[in-house]
Parts: sequence; C-alpha cells; structure tokens
Amino acid sequence: MSELLQASWGGVLAGSVYGLMAIGLTLIWGAVRLLNLAHGALYVAGAYAAWTVINIGLPLAVGIPVAVLAAGILGYGMHVTVIRPMLGRPGWDSASIIATVGVAIALQAATLLVFGPRVKQIPAVIPGSTVVSSVRISYQGLVIVLVAVVSLVALFLYLRSSRQGMAIRAISQHMDAAALMGVPVHRTYALVMIISAGLAGLAGVLLSSVLFLSPTSGFTPMIIALLVTIFGGLGSVKGTIVAAYLIGILESSVQVYLGGAWALPVLFLFIIFMLIVRPSGLFGVPEAQRL
Amino acid sequence: MTTPDSTTSTPVDSIDSAAAPWRSPKWTAVSSFGVFALILPLVLLRFGAGTFMVHLLITFFLWSVVAQSWNLVLGVSGIYSFAQIALFAVGGWFTGVLSMSYGWNPWLSLALAPIVTTVAALIIGLPSLRLRGVYVVLLTLAFHELLRNYVTNGPRVISGGGYGLIGVPRLDFGPFSGFSHLVPSYYLALGFFVVATFSIWWVFQSPIGVAFAALRDSEGYAVGRGIDQFRIKLFLFGFSAFFTGLAGGLMTHYLGSISQSIFAFSVLINVLAMIVIGGWGSFGGPILGTALLLGLQEGLRDLSDFRTLVLGLALASVAVLAPSGLWPKMRDGFRNFLDESPDVEDESEEGRDLLADPGDGSEHGRGAQSAAPG
Repeated sequence: MSELLQASWGGVLAGSVYGLMAIGLTLIWGAVRLLNLAHGALYVAGAYAAWTVINIGLPLAVGIPVAVLAAGILGYGMHVTVIRPMLGRPGWDSASIIATVGVAIALQAATLLVFGPRVKQIPAVIPGSTVVSSVRISYQGLVIVLVAVVSLVALFLYLRSSRQGMAIRAISQHMDAAALMGVPVHRTYALVMIISAGLAGLAGVLLSSVLFLSPTSGFTPMIIALLVTIFGGLGSVKGTIVAAYLIGILESSVQVYLGGAWALPVLFLFIIFMLIVRPSGLFGVPEAQRL
Repeated sequence: MTTPDSTTSTPVDSIDSAAAPWRSPKWTAVSSFGVFALILPLVLLRFGAGTFMVHLLITFFLWSVVAQSWNLVLGVSGIYSFAQIALFAVGGWFTGVLSMSYGWNPWLSLALAPIVTTVAALIIGLPSLRLRGVYVVLLTLAFHELLRNYVTNGPRVISGGGYGLIGVPRLDFGPFSGFSHLVPSYYLALGFFVVATFSIWWVFQSPIGVAFAALRDSEGYAVGRGIDQFRIKLFLFGFSAFFTGLAGGLMTHYLGSISQSIFAFSVLINVLAMIVIGGWGSFGGPILGTALLLGLQEGLRDLSDFRTLVLGLALASVAVLAPSGLWPKMRDGFRNFLDESPDVEDESEEGRDLLADPGDGSEHGRGAQSAAPG
C-alpha cells in the first residue's frame, strides 16, 4: 500500500513538471508546426537564470519569475532569428528541426562556457518534509505541484477565454483562415514562443530543485516531454496534460517496483508500442493520410 | 525524372545513356582522385605530422560513409530517422564482441557485421516507416536510447562493465602489415569509401533513385504511378544500414575499441551537422560536410570550449540562411564564376536537392531534368 502511495505521489510530482514542459512543446507544434528541439536548452537556461539570482542572495520567490522571464526572452529571440526568417519557405519541416538543434547546441555550449561543467542545485523554497501514511512528502514537492497546477490551469483558462488565447487556437486550427479573419499571425507566433519558452524555464527551476542542474540536464526532461506530447496527441492541450500525469505515474511506478535504471527503457518500450498501436496519441486527431 | 514506372520492372540499361548523360560518372575526375588518394599516404608519411594526417584521412573516409548513408535516409527520402548512430554501434559492437570475447577471426566477424546491421535496421524500420515526420524522430530516438541502455547495463561481455569494448583485436593484414598498421588501414578505408560512395551514387541514378526523387517531389503523383512507398523506404533504410554497420565495424577494429560515448547526443549532432552544412539531399553534400567538420574540429582545437558554440551557431545559420547547404551554393558560385556552358551532370543533380530553394536558380535544373524524358 505504501509503495502504491509512494508511486502515485512521485507520479503526480513528475507529471506536473512534465506537463509544464510538454504544454510548451505542444503549443508550438499546434501553432507553428515546429518541433522545438531547443526546449531542453530553454529549460536549462531558465534554471541557470534562477540559480544566478539565488547566488547573489535573493530568495527563490524572485528566482522563479526571473527564470520565466529569461527563458521567455530567449524564446522571443528564437522567434526573431530562426522562426520568422524561415516560416513559409520550402523545406520548413526539416530545416526548422535542424535549426532548433543548432540553437540547442549553441545555448548548451554557452551555458557550459559561462557556468562551467560542475553540477549545481537550486535550494528548496520551504525545506523539510512531512510523512503522510509512511510516504515522505517534501514541502518543496508540494510547492512544485502547486505552482505547476496553478500555471497549467491559468494557461488553460487563458487559451480558452482570452483574446490572444483564441488567436492561438485559431492559428492552430487553420492558419490561413485565421490570417484572413485579421489575426496577427506573426505576433501570435511570437507570443506562443514566449509562453512556451517561459513554461520551459519554469519547469527548469522547479525540477532543478529536486534534481541536479548541469548544462546537459535538459535533455532527459525534453525527451520525456516529447514522449508526453506524442502520447497525448500532438497539438492537443487536454491530451498533453492527461498524458503528462499518466507518464509521470508510469515512470514513478517503474522506479518504485523495478528500480530507477528501468524507468527510461520502460517508457521507451511503452511509447514504441503506443506509436505502433495508436500513432495519433490519446486525444490527437489522426493525421490526414490520403496515400 | 525519367519514367517513374521504370522502378517496377524495367532495368537500368534499357534507358538510352545518351538521353541521360548524368548516369555515367566523370571518369577523368574519378581517376585523378584515385591516383591522388593512392599516392597520398606514401607522400604524407615522409613528413613529421604525416601519421596524424593519415589517421585523419581514415577517420574522414569512415565517417563520410556514415554521413552519406544517413543522408540517403534523412535528406533524400525524407525519413527523419535518428537511429543511424545506433546502427553504427550495432555493427561495431557485433564484430567487437565476437572477435574479442569469442575469439572469432576479425575478418569473418567484420564481414558479418553489415548483414546483422541490415537486419537490425529492418526491425527498426518496420514500425518506424509506417509513421511520418516527428513520430519517426521519436521512435528512432527511442531505439537509440534503448540500445544505449542495453550496452551500458547489459551482460558484461557487451557492456565491458560500463567502459565498452577495450582491446578489440585489430585486423591482421598478413604480409602487408610490414610497414605499420596505418598504411594498410588507410587503403582498406579508401577501398571501402570508394565502394560505398559508388554504390550510393548508383542508387541515386538507379530506378530506385528516380522513384524516391519522385516520391519526394510529388508523393501523390508517384504513388499514383504505382511506386510502393513502403518497400522503397525499407530498401533505402536497409541499404544505408549496410554501409553504416560496416563503417562501425571498421572503426572498431581500426581504433581497437568502442565505448558507450558513441551514443552521446553530440556524436549524433556532429554527423547531422556534416549532412546539413554540406548540403542535405545532395550527393556530394555529406562528403563536403564531413571534410569541413573534421577540418573545423582540428582547426578549432585551440578554441576547445568555443568549438561546440561555433558548431551550433553554424548549424543554425546554415539551416536558416542556406537550407540546401553549402554544396549547391558552392556549385552555383563556381559555375557563375566560370560562366561556361553548364555541365549536364551538375545540372541534373541540382534538381535532386531536397531543400532546393526555387528562388536561387535551382528551378532551372529541375525543369531541364524533367524535360529530358518527355
């Protein structure tokens, strides 16, 4: 029983952070049809921004917004330098993936140059923990879940009812039609990039207070976020959130019952099986395949 | 594009070679390259730094084959497979384990390595090729990670306790091993490079090549003309794995070791950069890219930490500014500079560049080529 509780708590914790990462990926995919492989680098950049703020003596409560801001600025930079010049050109599909890989390498190398290869850790907001029926729950974990859930709900409401949120959804449904209705396409793309990068930065700070932080530590969360987006159905916000928690719980159950080394292999086997059986994911609309 | 239906049954030789002059290689260029490459190590080894240069050339031959075969999958047929390094490792590990731990003759295990790699590629390809685009990226990356996990945590014979295979027996060159290990290795790598490059060139020109060019340019039309997408893609996948596996095996025996670091993301990115910077989807691009990147790596050795930064920026800017890579740009520049009557071979190749920007004059090449059969 306690193992089950342990697994579910770990799953909720991991799922919340994966949700933040994956929502960013799925938003960009939905709006711009871009697979952003620099998402992991934005995660790392956010975490390092927060680390710098904490290092000069300010509390983490300041670090979190700084991380979101820093990652958001980088996201806007990516929009200006990479996405806007390439949009609508032939070969967008492949060239854009390669370009984001290039950005990822450059960002990772830059963090390595600035901060060095030594691992760092971001301190907890509230240290300590409590025991609920033999499961140790750290206060930091509760803070992470709280921040993540609040952000996800806020994002959901923003997408559903705000003017910009509707513009984002309109663009993901049909770009040309949205442009004809007067939706400012480029501004909306920039907005999506900023939101998505900011969420990656937020995930970076939150997860780095549980895991360690190094210039390469964004890779595994990004791969898992990719698994989550594809499992949930690319472009579907609701599917992504559900999938994030399912994947989180799956990962943490494997860790509890089989041991930590098995978590990633089992996830990968699971996703291979999933892609073969249902390639469009949980809530995804099957890709139009006329051929 | 010659007749797309030629893929199904018509053999190559039934097409009049006069109607398709790009089908025959430029023999003067090829033979002068051959003579140059044969003499090169004998000259280089007379200098102090020559040993290192020969080593670098061997590395170039092996990696450029990997880049070329990956380009065949990634650039030419548009399958976003990221499993190529995993396949390289399959070849390397297979021959390494058999020759080191089971006492097989390295030549025998090396000969089997490409076959095993091809089988592995077909196993990966069967599920992957039923999917499209991003899904293929994820699925192949999943295979990459699974394999990495297996060779790290698997049985000791394979993992080497987490250090990989160290002390793999080198190839025995018999009477030729007299001078040094380097010279026969050089000729072996050269021979492999020539055979692989020629085969890849042949695939580019063969009916299969025409078929995948058609699939890429207009999928609907190509399928309508009866091209079996799945079979062609699976063939390309297996074909490129064959040479990749052999390159992996040769590299393992040449270096005498292979470790888990081959699975590092940076290795994958390096080879990807070779293809993209060189010119993705073109025949000469990956070769140029491999030469450029290996040269860059050696040239920027002093910059050590900045090297990755430069690499990343180069990758991003090439993708943004010249998505078809440097090879087509260089060729166009060269031709404009000479301003002579354009060469037919180059003309035909240009139409085959995947990301050819219609704005930069490649439309002309494509038009000329499709006009040929009609």
